[in-house]
Amino acid sequence: MSGIVCAVRGGPDSQPTLQRAIRLARETHLPLFFLYVVNLEFLDRTASSRTYIISKEMAQMGEFILLTAQAQAEAHGIEARGVVKHGRVTEEIAAFCREIGAVYLVIGQPQIQNEDSLFTATRHQEFIERIENQTRAKVILPEET
Amino acid sequence: MPKPLRFYSLIAFLVLMGALLALPRQTAQGQKALPNSLLTGVVYDRQNQKVDNARVSLFAAGADAPLSQTVTQADGRYALTIPATIPDELTVRIEREHFQPQIIELDTAVAQTLRTGQPVSLPDTILRRQITLSFWIATLIFMGMLLLIAFGKLHNTLAALLGMSVVFAVSYLGRPLSPELFIFDFRGALRYVDWNVIFLIMGMMIIIAVVERTGIFQWLAFAAYRLSRGRIWFLVIILMAITGVASATLDNVTTMLLMTPITVQIALALSINPLALLIPEVLASNVAGISTLIGTPTNILIGSYARLSFNDFLINLTPGVLLAMTGLILYCQFSYRRELLSGHMGGISQLLLEKLAERAQITQPDHLKKAGVVGALMLILFVTGERIHLVPAVTALMGATALLVWIRPDIEEMIEAVDWTTLVFFIGLFVVVGAVQEVGLISFIAEGIGRIVGSNLLLAVLVVTWFSALLSTVIANIPFTAAMLPVVGYLTATIPGAQNNVLFYCLSVGSAMGGNGSLIGASANMVTAGIAERAGYPITYAYFFKKGFPALLITVSLATIWLIIRFL
Repeated sequence: MSGIVCAVRGGPDSQPTLQRAIRLARETHLPLFFLYVVNLEFLDRTASSRTYIISKEMAQMGEFILLTAQAQAEAHGIEARGVVKHGRVTEEIAAFCREIGAVYLVIGQPQIQNEDSLFTATRHQEFIERIENQTRAKVILPEET
Repeated sequence: MPKPLRFYSLIAFLVLMGALLALPRQTAQGQKALPNSLLTGVVYDRQNQKVDNARVSLFAAGADAPLSQTVTQADGRYALTIPATIPDELTVRIEREHFQPQIIELDTAVAQTLRTGQPVSLPDTILRRQITLSFWIATLIFMGMLLLIAFGKLHNTLAALLGMSVVFAVSYLGRPLSPELFIFDFRGALRYVDWNVIFLIMGMMIIIAVVERTGIFQWLAFAAYRLSRGRIWFLVIILMAITGVASATLDNVTTMLLMTPITVQIALALSINPLALLIPEVLASNVAGISTLIGTPTNILIGSYARLSFNDFLINLTPGVLLAMTGLILYCQFSYRRELLSGHMGGISQLLLEKLAERAQITQPDHLKKAGVVGALMLILFVTGERIHLVPAVTALMGATALLVWIRPDIEEMIEAVDWTTLVFFIGLFVVVGAVQEVGLISFIAEGIGRIVGSNLLLAVLVVTWFSALLSTVIANIPFTAAMLPVVGYLTATIPGAQNNVLFYCLSVGSAMGGNGSLIGASANMVTAGIAERAGYPITYAYFFKKGFPALLITVSLATIWLIIRFL
């Protein structure tokens, strides 16, 4: 199996990423996978014992976000699959790319530049290099047309 | 051994044992020979708080060895037993760590009275605080803990544990180097741990762990959508009411943890910005939580310290909370008017709504029913329990145990659901706050505030409410409240008219509603922001401040008006 993986978080900032992935799927005719990763590290300082119950709720929210992405793809004639994973975002994306033998990985640009952000500019670049080294997927950013 | 010899040996042994048993009794009877030869008194600090564990010694003039010694009890009282021979000139010396020693010269008339066997009661003794090295060290430890929590450098619990350990390390390892380094010993530290708070929180956590698994929050949120019939402004009001009631009966963090994901889904289905629903919800959660004793950890702390019952909070705070909620609803309608009136920007998605309806089910109706029955019984006990001196912690523990026995859940899972880190945080916090209380920092702050407000109760109400509210926007409100309790206790005891506990309600209002002033002001804010960010709708510090701070001003003002009307 091979295809395009599009890591989505939802919200207006993820629209360019979604659109880029849909366009790429239309151009390459490769299967499109929207991936949402449930990451609960933000609870570490406030409610670490609640991860059990919140994990399910977050997964459902992720499925919901993926449904909206799938609906957008469908509007462009692309049938996309939604996949929810649990864990650290970067590791889960890399693992999923390996799992399906992804050809392309479409990810967004970091929007908020703070230490707590999962994708600061530095980490983002490190992540791109890591993915391209560890998997055979080429990383595509929304700006690249 | 021949029989007669064995018999006599037994008799001798019994006589000897009898004599030994009789000896202490004779000694006790000997002490009773002077039943009234007592020198009694009470020791206070400058804040009128009774001082326990102070060493009280009676000396003959010029002597080094005391004639008699004792320590003050929890109520500050002492009773010195007077020896048979009483010299004319007597001196009483009262000493305690962190206080200046007090020497009382007794006149000869006292000695004469004591000789007649009459008890003598000395005038109340006021001990003055003494600033030693331990004062500065305890203050530094406390400030360090607050800063570590505020800047998120360490987990709250780890920061409190670290603070507690440093307090003990300084006390035990430093004392041999200098007595000035002693803060308190382990036994002394445990006196500051409020077990009523620990057990009440633990009991409620077990109840919450059962309720949160039933799907009630998801069902309620979707019911709110159906009830609103697509009117977003009305949906906001219903969601605020749900989060408010849930926060008052469970806790803010759980409520927002479970309400945020479903709210995001509703917003996505309706094609509206989720923040237009989430921000009003979390603001309502912080405001309404204080209407009951169990709604917020700060109320639990305040209730336990000031002995305020469940009814006290209901009667004295709930009307104020309703007033503040009304103001908050109007503010949210105004603040999000564009989003609420323009509504469905991209049209309602039937597919998403169907999915939502499918998920909005009560997953464990049997557990929910049983939790409802136990919850109702607990409510009755919370309300009526004070008549039989039933403390809320016992009610919560009984309710939690009854529920567990009734539904027989996976006990490991339930125990895991108890937030032990929070409980350990409270224990560490109590010890660190106890340390600054022990060395006198809290007394100095209390005296300082007391000097500012004088005997003006209205000024005290305003100062306590707004000082708490504004500080709670930058300091974690739980350690802040724990530290403020003795301060408010002092003001309550000294300001005329404050004995109705109004200042404790001011602290409750300020510390909880102050959480709306900034993103870091309350754990519920952080949890909501965390989930919203993972849905692609980040809540920045600036955004939260812009929406939350006016809400703080409105709700705290309205609550202050209520407190003034109610108590002054």
